[in-house]
Amino acid sequence: MADWSPAGAPYSVSDRASASAQLERGYRRLVRYYPRSFRQQNTEEIIAVLLATARPGQRHPSPAEAADLLRGAARMRLGLSRCPRSVLYAVRLMYLGALAEAAKLACLLLSLGTLRAAARATAIGSLGPHPAPAAVARATAEAGTVVSTDITAEVALSLAAIGCWLFLAWANGRGSPPARGVAVVACAFYTGFSLLVLAKGDLMIDPAVVIAFWTVTAIGIAACVLLLIRQSWPYFDRPVTAR
Amino acid sequence: MQEATFLILTALAGGSQHGYAIIGQVAAISEGRVRLRAGTLYTALDRLRADGLIDVDREEVVDNRLRRYYRLTPEGGHRLAAEAARLQANAHAALRRLNPRRLNPGLGVI
Repeated sequence: MADWSPAGAPYSVSDRASASAQLERGYRRLVRYYPRSFRQQNTEEIIAVLLATARPGQRHPSPAEAADLLRGAARMRLGLSRCPRSVLYAVRLMYLGALAEAAKLACLLLSLGTLRAAARATAIGSLGPHPAPAAVARATAEAGTVVSTDITAEVALSLAAIGCWLFLAWANGRGSPPARGVAVVACAFYTGFSLLVLAKGDLMIDPAVVIAFWTVTAIGIAACVLLLIRQSWPYFDRPVTAR
Repeated sequence: MQEATFLILTALAGGSQHGYAIIGQVAAISEGRVRLRAGTLYTALDRLRADGLIDVDREEVVDNRLRRYYRLTPEGGHRLAAEAARLQANAHAALRRLNPRRLNPGLGVI
């Protein structure tokens, strides 16, 4: 058998056999992330193709190969491998929405000091030009309680919203018709809620919070539009068994 | 239709092929521009099978490794033909409009 190894790095036949076995184990570890139904049909075939396209003497899957396999596995697990592009983009937007929601929560918590100070200033200002020290103390405490209650409600809502985004992204990626309906209704509610909060004006002190609110709302509207356009309809009309 | 999908269907239009051969054919058809990786190829093959555009032709074992051959279904052939006609019409329109200015720059001299 001819030895094609480069001069100065002589590989014996057994070296190559062990490199190939090690490489195959590496590929098999990555293929394990695919859904079971796919693996049962395709594992041996995909391993054969991976080994055929590997460099001579390669011992480990390359980062690009690993990324490609993991991306394929993620798409299949999320049900995105068979959906039209419009749904794919909508689902990606929904994951982005979860991220934006988390960023919005972070903005809100970071601006806590500003919010407290502003609420205090408003409360003291409303007492008139020369307030008694006791009245100032009471107003400050009341303003603090109001802000704390508001913030607690906001944090709880944000956490629930992150959960909703993630669940709806997953369910819509699988082509569930009820999930699409829920997404549209939730988006409408969310837009209304955002408008209400902004109209109330308490949280408008920090521009970052305002930008975050509008970003999340815009992402939700864009995702719903993508789910409702003509190209997305067939995916939601298919029987569940065909997926 | 995505370019990778178009190229995979084109590779199969010449006859049934196994996975590794499809990668080679796609690289040849696209003149080396599109190099499919195994994960991308099998995600696409899985989708095309689910959509009924391709089907498994036969299986062979070569050097103890499974080789599955895929072929175009009649539906796949129709879809590929329609897409090819669309691309050709677009390309023609583009060339026709470019033609007087760029493709025949010497035309005005004659």
